[in-house]
Amino acid sequence: MKKEIINGVLVLALIATAGCSSSDKATSGGSMAEQPVTSTGPAIKTGYGFDQWQQGPLGDVFYDFDSADLSPEAEQQLKDNAAWLESNPRNNTTIEGHCDSRGTSEYNIALGDRRSSTAREYLVRLGISPSRMQTVSFGEERPFDSGENEDAWSKNRRAHFIVK
Amino acid sequence: MGASSFLSGCFTIALVPGFLQFPPILKRYGVHMRSMRKAVYGLVLLFLCLVSIPAGLSAAETGEYIAIRKEGSGKIAIVLQKPDARGKRETGWAQNLDTVIHDGLSFTGLFSILPAPLNIFDTTDPKNPVLNFGALNSVGSEIYAGGAVTRQSGAVVLDMTVYETLSARQILKKTYTGSEEQIRSIGQAFCADLVELLTGKKSVFGTRIAFVSSKTGSKELYECDFDGQNVVQMTSSRSISLTPAYSPDGRYIAWTDFTLGRPNLFIRNRADNTSVAASRNGVSIDPGWRNGSEVATTLSFEGDQEIYLVRLDGSIAQRVTRSRGIDVSPTFSPDGSRMAFVSSRNGLPQIFVQEMGSGAVKRLTFSGRYNTQPSWSPLGDKIAYTTWENSGEINIFVIKPDGTGLVKLTSRSRENESPSWSPDGDMIVFTSNRDGRKKIFVMNATGENQRPLLQMDGEQMQPSWSLFRK
Repeated sequence: MKKEIINGVLVLALIATAGCSSSDKATSGGSMAEQPVTSTGPAIKTGYGFDQWQQGPLGDVFYDFDSADLSPEAEQQLKDNAAWLESNPRNNTTIEGHCDSRGTSEYNIALGDRRSSTAREYLVRLGISPSRMQTVSFGEERPFDSGENEDAWSKNRRAHFIVK
Repeated sequence: MGASSFLSGCFTIALVPGFLQFPPILKRYGVHMRSMRKAVYGLVLLFLCLVSIPAGLSAAETGEYIAIRKEGSGKIAIVLQKPDARGKRETGWAQNLDTVIHDGLSFTGLFSILPAPLNIFDTTDPKNPVLNFGALNSVGSEIYAGGAVTRQSGAVVLDMTVYETLSARQILKKTYTGSEEQIRSIGQAFCADLVELLTGKKSVFGTRIAFVSSKTGSKELYECDFDGQNVVQMTSSRSISLTPAYSPDGRYIAWTDFTLGRPNLFIRNRADNTSVAASRNGVSIDPGWRNGSEVATTLSFEGDQEIYLVRLDGSIAQRVTRSRGIDVSPTFSPDGSRMAFVSSRNGLPQIFVQEMGSGAVKRLTFSGRYNTQPSWSPLGDKIAYTTWENSGEINIFVIKPDGTGLVKLTSRSRENESPSWSPDGDMIVFTSNRDGRKKIFVMNATGENQRPLLQMDGEQMQPSWSLFRK
């Protein structure tokens, strides 16, 4: 019950920020005013790539249904991620590919693999060494939002960045 | 007042004189010399099978009668008499055996089990009651099975006799011996013999079903008997274990496991429980066996998700698919010459069939926008798969390998997934969340008789039916 409300607030927050340009969102770190308080603590960054499951420094990217193609917002987020990785050469990253719960689990592992790969390939094209980036697909096995609606599904279709 | 009036479907019995014996699976009555010879070989094999069971075959006549069950035909009407027993202990055994046999025959979906008529024995001579075939036939019985349980040197001894009631012909007489703890095996050994005699096909008795369960909080592999009994946990990796697949000979099980941090192919030797992990960059997804010596699986270490054949030691034998996009979920025709698989080469996932020799690929599914999870029947004649429908339901369909004969097996029951065939091709085990959480269900290959396989905590999914007998 409580979680649903929090998710609802989060969705509203996302909708409210949807009009901003993606670069604004990605660089709005530090602003906590509109962030819901969750059990995992307040988010440090807000905007496209950031939410209760991704608080930076690298942001996540999101995908359409059955797609591993990068949207303009996703590409902008990856450019920001590339900039961070360039200025933090000692850190590496693992890119997790995730899918929503729809469709079938075996196919979704392959789809998650494609999602993490397209994100990685884009970063390689931006000059990040492939050796600094590992990928792993979780398919639909580790959803972020357990809801069964488009809001939840859209959050689960992502490449999730972990800094190492 | 024959069987047909009692049954909804039509069921054909071929009563074949001893000198004109047909192979059990022969569906037409036309006989020429070659099929006659095959028939004799088949019967000799059948005899050998029966004789080779340690319990011993105590009488003959086996094989003179073969019931030919038409594809999709009705059920075999059987009167099942609880085995006779004297003594308290024997009576208990008889009760348990009766339950095991009753449950076993019911499970197959092949039988309509009729209550015995009151006058089942003709007691004109009270000292020597004889089976009253007239009474059996009048209740619509086609088959009668009964027997007696005795105790010999502490062991359970079950003597079973089976008659074809219309002709009053004895078609099976056999003795089964074992310990008290083996009562389930004893009863199911009889069920197996009866089903194989009547259908001419290997039965499900003694086979196992592997599956995934989240019972412990993480997805681990389990296996159980064909009827959901005797559940055993097979992995304890506290990671994610997915898509178990028995090798056709039952000696190995292959699956996808995240223990090493990403989805890898694991192959376990069932004899010594040693596992090989085929670890490469990228993923390994959803293994499918080709014969007993090679596993096909999707690997992405070359960049795209392609299907490869992997040897038992984890080394790559051959790359099978070459297309942009996802290729996943391989399943093979029984002779290994053709592979059905899922590909997104045209957009949303559809099922394709590839000739292993020539590499020629044909799209199999044109109905439904999202088709995945193909499973090739062990009989070779059908491929089951799932369609994610516009309604949001996921349903199981079967189709012939040439793309004709599409039949929908599930409907209006939420998400039905991961079909896997029984070794006789008569049943399909699958996952359904129709009652809430994902659970394992079984049904006849016609879609009839859908019911849960087992009760267990957590979710259960991705069942794989073995081909072998324990």
